[in-house]
Amino acid sequence: MASEDEINLLVIVVDVNPIWWGQQAQRDPQFTLSKCMDAVMVMGNAHMAMARTNKLAVIASHCQGSHFLYPSKSWSGEDGGGNDVSSSGDGKYELLSAANNLIVEEIRNIMSKIEVTGNSTDTLLAGSLAKALCYIHRLTKELEVGQEIKSRILVVKAAEDCALQYMNFMNVIFAAQKQDCLQNPATTDSQAQKEETETTNVMGDFFVFVFLY
Amino acid sequence: MKLRVQLQCKNLHEYLKELSPEILDRLYNHPATCLAVYRELPSLAKNYVMRMLFLDQPLPQAAVALWVKKDSQKDHDECVSVLAGLRLWHSQQLQGGLQGYILNPVFKDNLRTALLGGGRAWADEGSTLGPDRHARDIESLDRYAMERWEIILQFMVGSPSAVSQDLAQLLVQAGLMKSEAGEAPYITSAGFQFLLLDTASQLWYFTLQYLKTAQSRGMDLVEILSFLFQLSFSSLGRDYSVEGMSESLLTFLQHLREFGLVFQRKRKSRRYYPTRLAITLAAGVASSSSSSNLASSPGTGDAGFIVVETNYRIYAYTNSELQIALVALFSEMLYRFPNVVVAQLTRESVQQAIANGITAQQVLLHWAHLHTKNSTPVLPPTITDQIRLWELERDRLQFTEGVLYNQFLSQADFEVLRDRAQGLGCLVWQDVAHRVMVVTPQGHSEVKRFWKRQRSHT
Repeated sequence: MASEDEINLLVIVVDVNPIWWGQQAQRDPQFTLSKCMDAVMVMGNAHMAMARTNKLAVIASHCQGSHFLYPSKSWSGEDGGGNDVSSSGDGKYELLSAANNLIVEEIRNIMSKIEVTGNSTDTLLAGSLAKALCYIHRLTKELEVGQEIKSRILVVKAAEDCALQYMNFMNVIFAAQKQDCLQNPATTDSQAQKEETETTNVMGDFFVFVFLY
Repeated sequence: MKLRVQLQCKNLHEYLKELSPEILDRLYNHPATCLAVYRELPSLAKNYVMRMLFLDQPLPQAAVALWVKKDSQKDHDECVSVLAGLRLWHSQQLQGGLQGYILNPVFKDNLRTALLGGGRAWADEGSTLGPDRHARDIESLDRYAMERWEIILQFMVGSPSAVSQDLAQLLVQAGLMKSEAGEAPYITSAGFQFLLLDTASQLWYFTLQYLKTAQSRGMDLVEILSFLFQLSFSSLGRDYSVEGMSESLLTFLQHLREFGLVFQRKRKSRRYYPTRLAITLAAGVASSSSSSNLASSPGTGDAGFIVVETNYRIYAYTNSELQIALVALFSEMLYRFPNVVVAQLTRESVQQAIANGITAQQVLLHWAHLHTKNSTPVLPPTITDQIRLWELERDRLQFTEGVLYNQFLSQADFEVLRDRAQGLGCLVWQDVAHRVMVVTPQGHSEVKRFWKRQRSHT
């Protein structure tokens, strides 16, 4: 009876390309990276609140690679992480506020450490998607007998596409498809996006793309 | 023949539905309760609530009905009734005259607080007290919890153990034990069934009984429930402070300490640690994966296991008194060694257990729990079938009370009366050859009157 529950895993891949976000701040000062991260965290909180066995992972994708925001390597795990992680001073569920604080801290670390050289200004999204798939695969292996895991990737894409990334991108999508996980991107009204989504449109819901431009 | 009393383990929703609306509304004032209630909803209802969480206007019912496909209409109706029963949403008239749904505003605000932040802190954290010199780690907390819970279970089985008067009183009130005047309490059939449940169900049943008696003790139900839910969402291994807790909450904390749900070093100590049992509590009757450690064996320090063989022998590799007592409930003990107990399942022993109110299903489920650690449960089908057959043997005969009519003078009389009884629907049995029939007690007076009238006519 104990291992009957299904684990729902949500992996959120957030595009934190500093160049695009910097330009965005000039275009529309209302919508900044911190607002976007807030929204992403609310989505993660809502997912975690739904059931006790739900799991979350957040990956930040920028021009020099991708980085796990949550669960981060320095985090000890679910029990006893009390010392560094400050508790919520308000009415938020403790687990959620611990997760949120972690995410905020990690992204602060990342943004302060990135050095953007002139050549690479494109978001390495395919790499982040590959990391997400590997994480899902690892968790699937670590399950106890009788447990099942259902996983989804939510991609919040900011910067424009890069032609160089195309092959990698398609490879990742086909790899996900081979794992019997199906994809369905959410579209916007941009023409470039329309073409891209047509090529990846199959059925079902494994990837969900949110395009911010 | 003794009727069997079935132990019912209500889940959170059924319990909440029984509460009055004012109490429910006050209860939803705390984010922990809202989160706990939300988690227990069926998944379709969860989606509905999530969709409406950030809306401030009511949604028309037609729109909500469109969210499901035509063939899932039944699920939709079920969700609507669940949500209405828990007073999570109300029907409200929209401007166009249509009926709309809106989430209970108190519930909505508090669930939003739980997700987004803001509002009052749930409890003061132990950080104001500084680090604990006598901090306990998770294993010792687990051990403490299981120890205390086992003491309660052992008290029920009859082994001598020290439990407070309050607790004994609670067990008697819960119907799990009976106490004659002046003597020590002994276990009832409901108590037997309780022992065979898994730990999460036991905890939940016990807590429900406690809550029922809470009002008679003068404690505020809302306060206690909110604290309980808050406890179930706390993290294992962290300490919390007792600042700001009222008198009745402090008393409740002492009771929880006795059940093993929290650990407090001394009665006056200002911090407490929730144990794994408390965190399991919110999982309710359906245990989650976090309780997989508990489900392995209700109340053994070492993880013992049981082997059931097809020759009806049971080998229990365990030292725990409780486990041995449980095995002894429905089998005959043959040998006892320091680390093994050998028992035999016989017809008499199983039927005696069933006479005490345990069902075959409970026994089998109890064993299934003990096997979850291994990959495949190994209960031979012969044994499971045989236990069920022995249980059914007791049900072969069914007793119905009735009144016997016999010694009819003629066939015609018999037939007239029999038809009349059949018309009234109270004929239980008849034998045409011997002119004998049996009528239910309720129908008896009516049939007798009819017969007297019949006789006076002819």
